[in-house]
Amino acid sequence: MEVTFKDVSLSYDGTREILHHLNFTIPEGTLVSILGPSGCGKSTTLMMISGLLAPTSGKIFFGDKDVTKQDALARKVGMVFQNYALYPHLTVLENIMFPLKMAKVKKPERKKRALELAKLVHVEDQINKKPGALSGGQQQRVAIARALAKEPSLLLLDEPLSNLDARLRIEMREEIRRIQQETGVTTIFVTHDQDEALHISDHIMVLNNGDMQQFSSAETLYDNPSNLFVAKFIGEPVINTLAIADFQGELDQHVPADILKQAVSVGIRPEALQDHDSGDDTIAAIETTVKEFEKYGREKNAQLDFHGKKLLTTEIENTLEKEQKLTLYLQKSGFYLFDQDGKRIFGGDQDVK
Amino acid sequence: MKVKIAMVLRYVILILGGIIMLMPFLWMLSTSLKTQPETVKIPPIWIPKQLQFSNYIDAFKAAPFAQYFLNSIFVTTVTTVGQLFTSILAAFAFSRLNFYGKNIIFVIFLGTMMVPVEMLIIPNFVTLSKLHLVNTYAALIVPWLASFFTVFTLRQNFQSVPDQLYYAAKIDGASDWHYLWHVLVPISKSTITAVTVLQVIGSWNSFMWPLIVTNSENLRTLPVGLQAFTGDAGTNYAQLMAASTFVILPMVILYLFLQKYIIAGISKTGLKG
Repeated sequence: MEVTFKDVSLSYDGTREILHHLNFTIPEGTLVSILGPSGCGKSTTLMMISGLLAPTSGKIFFGDKDVTKQDALARKVGMVFQNYALYPHLTVLENIMFPLKMAKVKKPERKKRALELAKLVHVEDQINKKPGALSGGQQQRVAIARALAKEPSLLLLDEPLSNLDARLRIEMREEIRRIQQETGVTTIFVTHDQDEALHISDHIMVLNNGDMQQFSSAETLYDNPSNLFVAKFIGEPVINTLAIADFQGELDQHVPADILKQAVSVGIRPEALQDHDSGDDTIAAIETTVKEFEKYGREKNAQLDFHGKKLLTTEIENTLEKEQKLTLYLQKSGFYLFDQDGKRIFGGDQDVK
Repeated sequence: MKVKIAMVLRYVILILGGIIMLMPFLWMLSTSLKTQPETVKIPPIWIPKQLQFSNYIDAFKAAPFAQYFLNSIFVTTVTTVGQLFTSILAAFAFSRLNFYGKNIIFVIFLGTMMVPVEMLIIPNFVTLSKLHLVNTYAALIVPWLASFFTVFTLRQNFQSVPDQLYYAAKIDGASDWHYLWHVLVPISKSTITAVTVLQVIGSWNSFMWPLIVTNSENLRTLPVGLQAFTGDAGTNYAQLMAASTFVILPMVILYLFLQKYIIAGISKTGLKG
């Protein structure tokens, strides 16, 4: 089901807005992540999609249908919660059958469907156990099966992996991807972990302080961040950020003067600082002093001082000495300028929003 | 060594406490098997010369105890079931629903827990007599169909259930009613068992209220019936204790079976019964 938000805002007490004028469309059959730091409103957005929470203003559409006033049941969504929220007194099979029982599906039919789902999520050998006897990953699978039981219009997942250990998290995110692709159900996934979002989603929506920052593919988010927040939030190690005032003429001639005048912040990805000139891809050169140099395995990191500011690069070819002078070449991809509102005005693909 | 001594000391104190708690029960059992002169003998004796089991038969025949048993069972069952029903609904409302004045009402109810039961006897009696309910089963049952202690205990328990479970049930298509009875109640089993047992015991043992609101023989409950052994000529202690033994026996059995739930249920809410 395609989901559209039209100018949706939410405030709990009528004065303080939690979400501000959200406008987006989630295409049918895709897996979309809502990504943002704690308290940015991502779970709240999911609750509004589910119908557990009503927006203060604006409209929500499923396909062409206005569902703003419908509750979760009428919207036919399936949801998986962070703590799984399985019914502890029911067995795995009974848990999966619960929504079907509520929908008054006949008993043999609901058992058949529940068994199929148990198979889909690989818990068919656990069906007579109570949730308390299962591991976190298995509980997660059961929760997904239960959410899929009534053939939902949407599958919503609220931080589904955050209670799992690191290894299981990677396994489960692949599983979620697989299940989504097998069933084709439009899936919306809330997470604060960019790694999770980047790995499994078709599109990522970045939220901060109740505002949508950017909604695009993982690649676009990284290559063409629409603003400083997205540039800082996506990418590991974190992008180097400097004030334009930290530069002493290094960018003149290389960046159009009118853009340079508006620019306030500079973002340089660690891999966009190279120790060799690569011709056309290089924008400008800067003089730095090496402060730290680390080498582990095939990774080489250097901390550099540039007019008293710290810079990090991962693109060093030669071994460096501390306090050594080093000329670095700024690469076109991974170099951005932002205006006073944080909007990207230079670097990346100009026509991508 | 030090740890061992502390351990021994702890057990000695616990055993002493246990003996002191059991003393009245043992004395009751002992007295119930004595002859009348033995019950008042000084110094007291613990083991009668000859065990007088006939005291039990005589005690049972001394008053219509079969009727009293039926009355007690009926009143206790209806009171407990009724009280659980109202309390579960109220606890759900206080823990999950939003309505105008919820917190104020809750605080007022909480305040009623500070009023001693004895103080309510006269106003309750007046109310019942105005409703012409004195000396009926209703008088024994209706005033106890709501208990804020039970509401409060259950509410604390319901509130500890994560919101997500409620949302999950809503999304799965369960109504509030269905969620309450098919999800919340089953998972609150231990607390519900605890308050049930407390209520059964309280109701079974209640003396003052049945004594005041009933005067016909066929409405008497067991604790009131025990008065049969106290007359103008004094008290037949042996038979009284024999009757007391069979009166409390069902409660002792109930407690032994369910003590694990009672302890869990009470320690969870941090309240005493």
